Amino acid sequence: MEHTITAGTAPSLTAETAPPARPRVSRRSLVPYVLIAPGVIWMLVFLVLPILMMVYVSFWTQTTFAIKPILTTRSWVNFFSSTTYVASLWTTLRIWLIVLAATLVVGYPTALFVGLFVRNKTLSTVLLVLCVIPFWTSFLIRVVAWRPMLGEQGAINIILRSLHLIQHPISALLYTELSVVIGMTQIYCVFMVGPIAFMLSRIDPNIIEAARDLGAGFWRIFARIILPLSMPGVVVGAIFVSVMVLGEFATSAALSGRKVNMLGNIILTQVGSLKWAFAAVVGVVLTIVMGIVVSLFLRIVDLRREL
Amino acid sequence: MADDLVLDGVTKRYGALTPLDRISVTIPGNTYVSLLGPSGSGKTVLLRVIAGFEAPDAGSVRLGGRRLDGMAAHLRGIGFVFQNYALFPHLSVRDNIGFGLASRAVEPVRDPAALRRRVDAMIALVGLEGLGERGVHQISGGQRQRVALARTLVTEPRLVLLDEPLGALDANLRTRMRGELRRIREQLGVTFLHVTGSDTEALAIGDQVIVLDRGTIAQHDLPDTVYNRPNSAQVARFLNCYNIFPGRRDGARFVSEIAAFPLAESVARGDGAGREPAYCIRQDLIEIRAADAPVASGEAALPAEFIASEYSGASIAYFFRTARGETVEVEAHLSHRRPVELEPQRRYTLAWDAGRAVVFA
Amino acid sequence: MRSTVIKPALAVYTGLFILFLYGPFFVLGILSFQAGPEGGPQFPIIRWSTYWYRQIFGLTPPSRIAPLPIGDALVRSLTLAFMTTVVSTVLGVLSAQAFRSRFRFSGAVFYLIVLGMMVPGVLVGLGMALVANWFGIDRHWWSTAFVLHVVYTFPFAFLVMLAIFNRFDASVEEAAWSLGVSPVRTFRRITFPLIFPGVLSAMLFAFTLSYDEFARTLFASGPDLTLPLAIYGTFAVEIHPDIFAFGVLTTLFSLALLAIYAILMGASVRRARRVAIQEEV
Repeated sequence: MEHTITAGTAPSLTAETAPPARPRVSRRSLVPYVLIAPGVIWMLVFLVLPILMMVYVSFWTQTTFAIKPILTTRSWVNFFSSTTYVASLWTTLRIWLIVLAATLVVGYPTALFVGLFVRNKTLSTVLLVLCVIPFWTSFLIRVVAWRPMLGEQGAINIILRSLHLIQHPISALLYTELSVVIGMTQIYCVFMVGPIAFMLSRIDPNIIEAARDLGAGFWRIFARIILPLSMPGVVVGAIFVSVMVLGEFATSAALSGRKVNMLGNIILTQVGSLKWAFAAVVGVVLTIVMGIVVSLFLRIVDLRREL
Repeated sequence: MADDLVLDGVTKRYGALTPLDRISVTIPGNTYVSLLGPSGSGKTVLLRVIAGFEAPDAGSVRLGGRRLDGMAAHLRGIGFVFQNYALFPHLSVRDNIGFGLASRAVEPVRDPAALRRRVDAMIALVGLEGLGERGVHQISGGQRQRVALARTLVTEPRLVLLDEPLGALDANLRTRMRGELRRIREQLGVTFLHVTGSDTEALAIGDQVIVLDRGTIAQHDLPDTVYNRPNSAQVARFLNCYNIFPGRRDGARFVSEIAAFPLAESVARGDGAGREPAYCIRQDLIEIRAADAPVASGEAALPAEFIASEYSGASIAYFFRTARGETVEVEAHLSHRRPVELEPQRRYTLAWDAGRAVVFA
Repeated sequence: MRSTVIKPALAVYTGLFILFLYGPFFVLGILSFQAGPEGGPQFPIIRWSTYWYRQIFGLTPPSRIAPLPIGDALVRSLTLAFMTTVVSTVLGVLSAQAFRSRFRFSGAVFYLIVLGMMVPGVLVGLGMALVANWFGIDRHWWSTAFVLHVVYTFPFAFLVMLAIFNRFDASVEEAAWSLGVSPVRTFRRITFPLIFPGVLSAMLFAFTLSYDEFARTLFASGPDLTLPLAIYGTFAVEIHPDIFAFGVLTTLFSLALLAIYAILMGASVRRARRVAIQEEV
């Protein structure tokens, strides 16, 4: 096969005389926009619009059973000038922080075990499934099941008494803030375990090996390697738990006998008596709290990168 | 020719990097062309631009006169064999091979009998008889490579791009597959553009060799021209068989840091001089003599100290150190010479015919 | 790291943790065998009986305790969950596919989608009720509640698909294009089958979330109740062990589904596993 070869080292064309590349058919660059449009429209109409509506209505005038679109700050003033309502804001924040800390403390060691120590994939799947199964019992039923556990005649008291650890039943377990905290911790701790276990399972075991070879003890390895690498999982878990706890009303209603009023409970009762404008005010307050909490968390971790 | 691939000023930029810088070349039809370059030279990017997976920032790509850039990848009629084969894991070998024919946008083969016939013919051509019903995880690496090839060739592309197709195979298999690829290509009569980082592979398999260096074409010639007359020190470096001494020309000599070499008239090549003046001598053209042995006129010589040797079956590589601490390698093919016993740390004289050197000055 | 001490300690802890998770479930289970109809949802057990199980299926004589209104509500919940699953999975796949290329405002869009799972149900439910009132739209489980369910589950489906696509090797798609197959066809015949396990888990996720979803539905579902709402309705009056029996039944049902799924998966994995072939050319 004889070929005359055009030497590749021919004088190179200057940039000006090189013909411009024909651009990709513009259809190509539109495709992502077409794909994303349905989702964006859905969220704008069914998420953003309701929230905006809620903000708008919070400034409406409230008559006994109806609302009129005449703007006023009356409902806002009512909220912040009333000690009960402001107290419910503090209650909400307090319970949120306690439950957040509790789920983290309770869930982290389990996540550590499942994510880091269990290397057998089948076993870790089984453990995770075990954690998920309780969810297939309706959330409400699980909440309500705490009552016979915590009451004076409840399971916990029965067990403690039969083990002779206490003489008289502990009454503070039910219908108090403590019962709400216990219930919420138990229901939401799985949302901490999941993301943390996921992040921990992604840690390359060679890193820990290397640290061990260099002489680091367990606590050092934990503080310097494991904890920082698990932070994105902690943050995701914290966001999940926070969203659920801040918006809670069912657990607090069921387990506290109406003593503990979170913002969610207020919204519910106000809607029940058709005080829409006031409910909207509470809703906006809750939204602002949520917004601050979530953006604080997102500052710690860039969600997009972690995926 | 009808199926020539013509690149004109093709440029590709990624931010501050320019993996392709005004590439202009004509690759003729019905030829085996190897594209040689180290990693980072832009050879995979070039292939992807030709295939249409990336768009160039400037320049044009033409196949058989028709302009390709701007055209979607699936309409170009160009086959691509991936480095990792990219077989469809959920399809059998037979379905992998037939997939393009059955599902392509232009003239899909709808008749199941015709499809089967063509797939069977291709299976026979690449040597995969009896494996048609297997899943792609149930065959060996070499067989997977053949599936990747068959899958592309059955669609009768006008040009086939191969991105380091033999890289994942062991050395024995690689050598055998080289022959197979050439045989198959000849039978089909289409151009194969075969990218590789291995100089021996590029020289062995191509009818033409293109050497790519940091986004530009350093040389485009027949293999033995590239081997014997690299047109720059950089190309000589890629070939892994030259000793390269930087320096400058001084009258009738080339002066480097360690020695001065006489320049025979036949030797000087001006092309590569601008980039890097250098004196290159192939490793298998050097003779090892005793330190005080005579040096004839017309020969160049270099004193050096022997370090170690490396035996690799048909040849031995001897490593020497110059007075300046640089390493010089001498390759002795044992069919030409008997192996010499050398003493480590002892000085010898390395001599060669000055006319065989390649000089850029 | 003294893993000889740490690991068993953590294992014990995990065991206790699981006990903690299942505590109410055990109580629930035990109390579901409470005597009826006079037995209440608390200890002590008056008498062991399967009364409440029978009551759910309507096999007991009528008493002052109304049976759980679960029949229609169950159907509605399942239908709603199914609809939500389909729509949110489609949206999730489309959006994740869009995110495989760069496009303007992708950051804002990402957070807009993720916002859906970060807004508590109470808020978006309230907002939707207000919107419905203002536009004079009636609230139904299949309209106003449905759209909110999708708002909630779509981000989950989206994130699952994003993670799947991140691990997806695009070279098989490029291979299909190089063979002349159009991008749309490539997605159908190559990409989708390979991402299908991810799609399946997204669907499972969405179904689970929607089926038990309560807060959003509470405000937005109108007169016909879904299952969680029906259950909630009984709380207002008095709760009875029939609710516990119901809980046990649904959990057992889900476990049965999981077992069937595991058996099917195991069977298909074993079928696909064949003897590895020796190196030949």
